[in-house]
Formats: sequence, structure tokens, C-alpha cells
Amino acid sequence: MTEQSKKNSALFYVLTGVFLLILCIAVSVGVLVIPYEKAKTYLNIVFMDQEMKITPSSGLDGLVIKENTIETAAPDQKFYDSGKIIRPAFGEQYAVLDCEEISLSVPVYWGSSAELLDRGACQASSSVVLGETGNVVIDAHVNTFFADLPKLKAGDVITLSTNYGIFTYQVSEQIQFLNTNKQYVLPSEEDKLTLYTCEAQVLGTSDNRIGVVCSLVSKQFYQPSEEGTT
Amino acid sequence: MNQLKFYLPKIFLSFLLVFLLIFSEIALVVQNKALSEKTFSLVIEQQALDEKAYSALDIYFQSRSNSTGIPKKVYLEAIQQEELKTAILSSVEQAFAFLNGETETYSFSMDFTKLENSVNAFFNQYAEENNYQKDEAFYQKIQENLDEAEEKILYTADTFKFSTLNEHGWLEKLRSYLSIFRTGVIIICVMTIFIMGILLFLCRTTPKEIPYWLGLTGVISGLLTASPCVYVLRTNYFSSFVVKDPQIFAAVVGYLQYITGQLCTVTLITLIFGIIFLILFGILHAKTNS
Repeated sequence: MTEQSKKNSALFYVLTGVFLLILCIAVSVGVLVIPYEKAKTYLNIVFMDQEMKITPSSGLDGLVIKENTIETAAPDQKFYDSGKIIRPAFGEQYAVLDCEEISLSVPVYWGSSAELLDRGACQASSSVVLGETGNVVIDAHVNTFFADLPKLKAGDVITLSTNYGIFTYQVSEQIQFLNTNKQYVLPSEEDKLTLYTCEAQVLGTSDNRIGVVCSLVSKQFYQPSEEGTT
Repeated sequence: MNQLKFYLPKIFLSFLLVFLLIFSEIALVVQNKALSEKTFSLVIEQQALDEKAYSALDIYFQSRSNSTGIPKKVYLEAIQQEELKTAILSSVEQAFAFLNGETETYSFSMDFTKLENSVNAFFNQYAEENNYQKDEAFYQKIQENLDEAEEKILYTADTFKFSTLNEHGWLEKLRSYLSIFRTGVIIICVMTIFIMGILLFLCRTTPKEIPYWLGLTGVISGLLTASPCVYVLRTNYFSSFVVKDPQIFAAVVGYLQYITGQLCTVTLITLIFGIIFLILFGILHAKTNS
């Protein structure tokens, strides 16, 4: 057998292999493209949590809890009426709620879950971040942090400190509502703070919620809002 | 010319063989691994589902105690981790008994006698210590607490969500398709062997080509199946599963990763055999030419 025919023979087998591979890939893609397009929507819903791909073993159902130290304002701190807001991540402690009248000081977490409610008060992520205009909605368990919430009365002062400012509210009314009634937790155009908890009930859960609505007294930002909010 | 006459049929049969090999591999993995009770038991062990389920119940009853005032130990001391494991295994056993036609319905339950005693004892003790009136509302509260706790425990122990599949009629559908599927697996395997036989028959005049065609189909089928499996495993695709109950997440993701891993292993073995056949052909081809 000549050298040329050897080469031709080898080339023939290689080309046959490549041809068959391309043919099979083309057929596979052609056959699978329609079912894939149909299944894509469902797959994107079922496997939508992209964060877990990066940290698959972060535990706590993928919830990342972040404890922060909330710095108190220095005596010579200069304040601004409007300023820079630092938007928290879900599960991040971003404020401390204080009320002298009921000796309450509790960390506030952004978002709500059983794990976060064990650690402090939780702010609904559907409400506005402190400093923005609207309804700030915070809740906590009645047997722990908000046990004395029903003792609050009109005129009591509530302070929320963050790392970007201090926000002061005053209790304007006491409220009671069913857990199905969203009236008090809906967004609003006016600046207000809504605190609520479950109605204390012996040996069982209650469908009633009790709390207070507070009106804004002051917003004191540490940094001006020249660069806009972040 | 004689050789060329068989060339196109060989290409066509190899093309068929590639897809039949892929179907055979997938069908065998689904039959022997995905639809095997042993696989579920293995995932329960590997993922420590009983531990995760117990931990989930611990968090739930702790959180619940913050609003009800009932200590978590009232529930958790009546449910041991070992009992949860037995319940998880039982849910799998019941599901397969139904799928294999051994039972007519799927049912999953647990013995809650200890839980009922514990909750009753706590309520009665509380009533005596606090002069709480044991009226109709009192007994209704006990029942409500028991119902909620039992529902939560059953939900947590059903890590593979067979109850949900059963409620939506999917388990029934799977049962009806299972016998057809098992017949299908046999047909696919027989067809694979048959096509392979014809290919070998066509190569009777050129036996040195046998390893070439077998190797080629093995390599291509291996590549086509192994590539998506490797991609899915390397990118942790299943870890983006949206249900975040730890025991359900671990059960579903653990199961899907195990099955994909098994399929990947089978296809890589096919790929390796294909490469070996091609090397063998190369050696034979070189010897013949020299």
C-alpha cells in the first residue's frame, strides 16, 4: 500500500467519524430544541435561585443572616434633612429600635423569617427603607421583643438608628386588626411607622394583630444626598 | 466498490446505534437507579434527611413557642429523630408499594400517641397551675394544637413529597406508565443489540472495521450524554432549586445529583470503551497497512 493511499484511508475514517458526530449533534439539537423551549419556563421557575449556585452549602434554607454594629452618632455629628440611604440585604440587621417608655431596644432585620424573628424585629421588605418616604412596617413576636408593645400610648417616642441616620417617630394611634386585613401594612404616601405583633393568647396562636401607628418627627442623615441614594 | 456499497448502510446503522445507546443508558439508569427504593434509602442516609427534618421541626416549634407560649419540648420530646427516619423510610416504602401494585392506595401516616399524651399533659398541667377553666374552648385548643403539629410533622417527614404527588394524581399516572416503561426498556435494549448485530453482519467482509464502528458509536453516544451531565454537575445546577425547606431541598437536590452522577458514570464508561475500540482499530489498521 502506498503512503498516499494510507493517508487517504486514515483521512476517510477520520472524516467519517467527524461527519457522524456532526450529524448526531445536529439531530440532537434539532429534536431537543422545541421540548427545551417548552420546559425552559418551568425549569427557570424550579431552579431560579442563582445565589445558591455560588454558595450551595450556606445553610439556613439559603438565608444569609448578617449582624451589623449600629454606630451611635458622635456628639459633634452634623445632620442633614435628606441624605444617603444604605439599602440592606435580606437578612441583614440594619437598625436598632429604641423606646424608653417600655424599655425596649431591639435589632431590626430587613425581611422576615422564623430565624430572623428569633433574633429581633423584622421589617417587611415590601415596606420602605428607613429614610425613604412611606410606610415602615416592623413586627416581632409577642412573647419576646414586642411583649410590651400594647403598653405604648399616644405621644411615646420611638427612635430607629441606622448606620446612615437616626429616624424619630411618635405614637399617634393604637391599632388592632385581623391578620387577613392588610390595611396597616400597605405602602402609603405619608411618612409613618407601623409596629405590630400577635395578640397575646394563652396556649395558642391568635388571628388578631395589635400595634401602633407612629408619625414621623424627624429624619437625621449623617451624609447629604449629593451622590443620590445607594 | 463492494466496500463502498456497505458504507452508507453502516453510517445509517451507526447513527441509529448512537441514539439507541443513549436511550438504553438513560432507560437503564432510570429503571435501576431513579425508580429504585434503594436509591431513595441511600439519599436519606447520604443527606442525613432525618437530622435535617428534626432540625426543621426544632426551628418551627421554637418559633411557634414565641407566639403560643407552648415550649418546643412538649412536641420534640414526643418525636424522636429515629422515629422521623422510620417515617421518611416508610413514606418511600409506601410509595413504591403503590407504584409496584402491591397496594391500591398510597397512604402515609405516623403514630402520634406520644405526642397526644405530651400535649394533653402540658395543657392539663397548665390549667391546674393557673386555674384555667377546662371548658369546650380548652379542649378545642388542644385539638387545634395537635392537628397543626401533626400536619407539620407529616409535612416535614414526607421529604420526597410523595403525598403531594399523590394528591395531584402524579403517583397514579406514574404507576400506570411504569409497566409500559419497563416493556419499553426491554424493547430498546433488544433493538440496540439487534442493530449492533446487523452492523457486525455488514462488517463480515471487513472484520478489522468492527472496532471502528463500535468505537465510533460509543464515543459519540458517550460525548452526547456525558456533556450535559458534566455541565449540570459542575455548575451545581440543581442547587438553585427554589424550595428552601432544608429536608426537601436536600432530598430533591441529593436525589437529582445522584441520578445525574450515575448517568454520567455509565456514559463515561461507554465513552472509555469507545476510545479503547478506536485505539484497537488504529493498531489493527496500522498493522494491516504495514
